[in-house]
Amino acid sequence: MTASSHTTREGDQRFEAEALPYMDDVYRFALSLTRDPSDADDVVQETFLRAYRSWHTFQPGSDARRWLFTITRNVFLRSREREKRLVDLEDGDLEALSSFAVHSQMVRDGSDQILSRIDLGPALRRALDELDEPFKSAVLLVDLEDQSYEAASQILGIPIGTVRSRLFRGRRMLQDKLITYARDAGFSTAQRGQRGPKE
Amino acid sequence: MTDCNRDIDCRTAVQKLWDYLDDELTPERMDDVRRHLERCGSCLPHHDYARVFLAALSAAREGEARAPEQLRRRVMDNLRAAGFNA
Repeated sequence: MTASSHTTREGDQRFEAEALPYMDDVYRFALSLTRDPSDADDVVQETFLRAYRSWHTFQPGSDARRWLFTITRNVFLRSREREKRLVDLEDGDLEALSSFAVHSQMVRDGSDQILSRIDLGPALRRALDELDEPFKSAVLLVDLEDQSYEAASQILGIPIGTVRSRLFRGRRMLQDKLITYARDAGFSTAQRGQRGPKE
Repeated sequence: MTDCNRDIDCRTAVQKLWDYLDDELTPERMDDVRRHLERCGSCLPHHDYARVFLAALSAAREGEARAPEQLRRRVMDNLRAAGFNA
């Protein structure tokens, strides 16, 4: 094997067999990141071009989908030329406590049943669309693409502890958005036991 | 081993609840949290709430989204221009 083996027919055939089948996965991930089909198209094209050019660096037998997600994420960040730097403490345990403190407060004020009264699917998709980076990528990878914490840490290039804190904070932010949507939709704590907003 | 007798408090259980639901703890730690949840009426509602939330989140995936045919053609055109020849 040479450094240019990715340009050989054998390398191309491996690329076709191992990388190209993940185009739908890459497109879905890109669409979730960009929230725009046209932008997602650009990210997918750039992702596969970069993947092809660096195919010689891909380790045979490793997870091609994970490798492509890493490139997708990098292409997306490059296209946006931004990655918000967290200046506050990234602590997964504290984020977990904070997340469930929200639920405790909901139970205390009687709003814990709100989420059972709204259609969670559309509400969550809307909340995901509005979720900011870097939390969004952690949630997308772990909760929607079924990646482990370790896989997500490799894709995002961050320690597992940072994946935890971003993931847990992202989940808490989604919960906050759901509560806001439910209240905006007319559900209130006074409607405990009813099935929907007053008609 | 004495792990089977080890108890964790509510704070620890809640700190590890997301990890537990994500199946990201060691087997011993998974057992610790599971045993706590079986006995604790305060933490179990958090678990049930979080489980419903995660199930809804997983279902929100863009499951039907497929790369459009036009995009597939563009990707292949780009690759061929870069020398791809499978």
